Amino acid sequence: MLKLVSIHTSYNNIKALKGIDIEVNKGEIVCLIGSNGAGKTTTLLTISGILKPDSGDIIFEGKSLKNISPHSIVNRGICQVPEGRRIFPRLTVLENLEMGAYSVNSKYQISNFKNNIEKVFSLFPILKERIKQHGGTLSGGEQQMLAIGRALMANPKLLLLDEPSLGLAPIMVSKIFRTIKEINEEGVTILLVEQNAKAALRLSHRGYVLENGAIKLHGSGEDLLHNEDVKNAYLGE
Amino acid sequence: MLLQQLINGLTLGGVYAIIAIGYTMVYGILELINFAHGEIYMLGAYLAIIFLGLFTAMGLTAASIPIALILTAILTIIFCSAYGFTIEKVAYKPLRNAPRLSPLISAIGVSIFLQNYVMLTQGATDKVFPHRFGEAGFQFMDVNVTYLQALIILVSGLLMFFLHLFIHKTRMGKAMRATAQDKTMAALVGINVDNIISATFIIGAGLAAVAGIMVASYYGLVNYFIGYIAGIKAFTAAVLGGIGNIPGAMLGGIILGLVESTGSAYISSEYKDAYAFIILIIILLIKPSGILGKTTEEKV
Repeated sequence: MLKLVSIHTSYNNIKALKGIDIEVNKGEIVCLIGSNGAGKTTTLLTISGILKPDSGDIIFEGKSLKNISPHSIVNRGICQVPEGRRIFPRLTVLENLEMGAYSVNSKYQISNFKNNIEKVFSLFPILKERIKQHGGTLSGGEQQMLAIGRALMANPKLLLLDEPSLGLAPIMVSKIFRTIKEINEEGVTILLVEQNAKAALRLSHRGYVLENGAIKLHGSGEDLLHNEDVKNAYLGE
Repeated sequence: MLLQQLINGLTLGGVYAIIAIGYTMVYGILELINFAHGEIYMLGAYLAIIFLGLFTAMGLTAASIPIALILTAILTIIFCSAYGFTIEKVAYKPLRNAPRLSPLISAIGVSIFLQNYVMLTQGATDKVFPHRFGEAGFQFMDVNVTYLQALIILVSGLLMFFLHLFIHKTRMGKAMRATAQDKTMAALVGINVDNIISATFIIGAGLAAVAGIMVASYYGLVNYFIGYIAGIKAFTAAVLGGIGNIPGAMLGGIILGLVESTGSAYISSEYKDAYAFIILIIILLIKPSGILGKTTEEKV
């Protein structure tokens, strides 16, 4: 479904990605683990078109995403929940969700919007109670739910999640991970970036280990969980 | 006497407010002080004179003044919006990722260019608005209000009302607010940020065009230099209300208009243009974020 072919990306004149090959198949949860500065966020921002690769190609459903603007990439069906959630702080919860549906073709918008918003509220009932509040007034966990809900409003085929557990209480982390599984079971393919390597690998079908802008290892979630190098470096065992 | 000055001040303030909105909207999205914005207003005044002159020559003004004025307004708004759109594409978009000072310098360059362009093509002497509205009006609580003043207050009030509705109720208005709050995230939800920026310039320029028409008809005289002082006053109004904040720009404009007219009446009209600078200095000293800045910020 998604294929990164030898992607090189520079960020602030630093070569952040040095030839990355990643493949995500339809229906999978794939995770990308690695330490700070390994290039995980850069990878996601490159897929979404916010950063332009210096070389290499990104193929989504058989078509290149090169030289396509970020909003058109959303139209193709790739949505991102970025690092730090980036809720629109002075838009209400409802307006944030409306913005999530911005790319949906206006012909289908009204019925589709109602369906999607019901789906989001059934995943995260707390958002319904907060509907008129400004996004900036929500707690971290609620903002993460809103960020995921906002991305789902666009009917994504592929959902990119950047550190969804960052800064959340443990109970909220397991809630978010359960929700990611549910979303996947409804047919959305997921590419997940996480520092919480153990939880991410348990959840994922396959995983990639990123180090200094290059893929060091890849394999099934199960294999990586039992890999000695991964255990030492990322699982703290 | 005071009430009379309040009416005069409200007229002036309405004009400042709708120019200030253009400043504040562009600042909200690009964090750029668009110094060329005052020039759009000046172009609006000139274009209104040109179009109304044309309609007068065609005999349309003699047949129906309202129709001639409305057509003049529509054409002027279209032309000014086209100027606003083009200025952004030519002078600011190529500098989108440059250091913040670069687009600011570019804005000053556009401002100087437009002033000289109008001076060379229209001449350095004052131009006269082809229609005199005169002193006809009505009495309101012992105060004389001319029909033109009432029209200016009404039009600026309506424009602000509809702009507020547009920003809060329409899909595009919400996308503008989202873009102002986080451009990258706006792109990630599928908003075409370039289109939103263009729309911001088009709306801001359209409002400045209306302000230009109103001032040209109110004072009857324009020159190529009016955009400079109006620009600085509108900038003051925007800063006073809290730059980036649309209700703030409306409030700042009206306060500035009231201060200017009461100050002219009770202190000295010699200092008419100085009051804006005095306000600017005071606000920067006391509350640089402006009256409505930060706490209730609703920037676009």
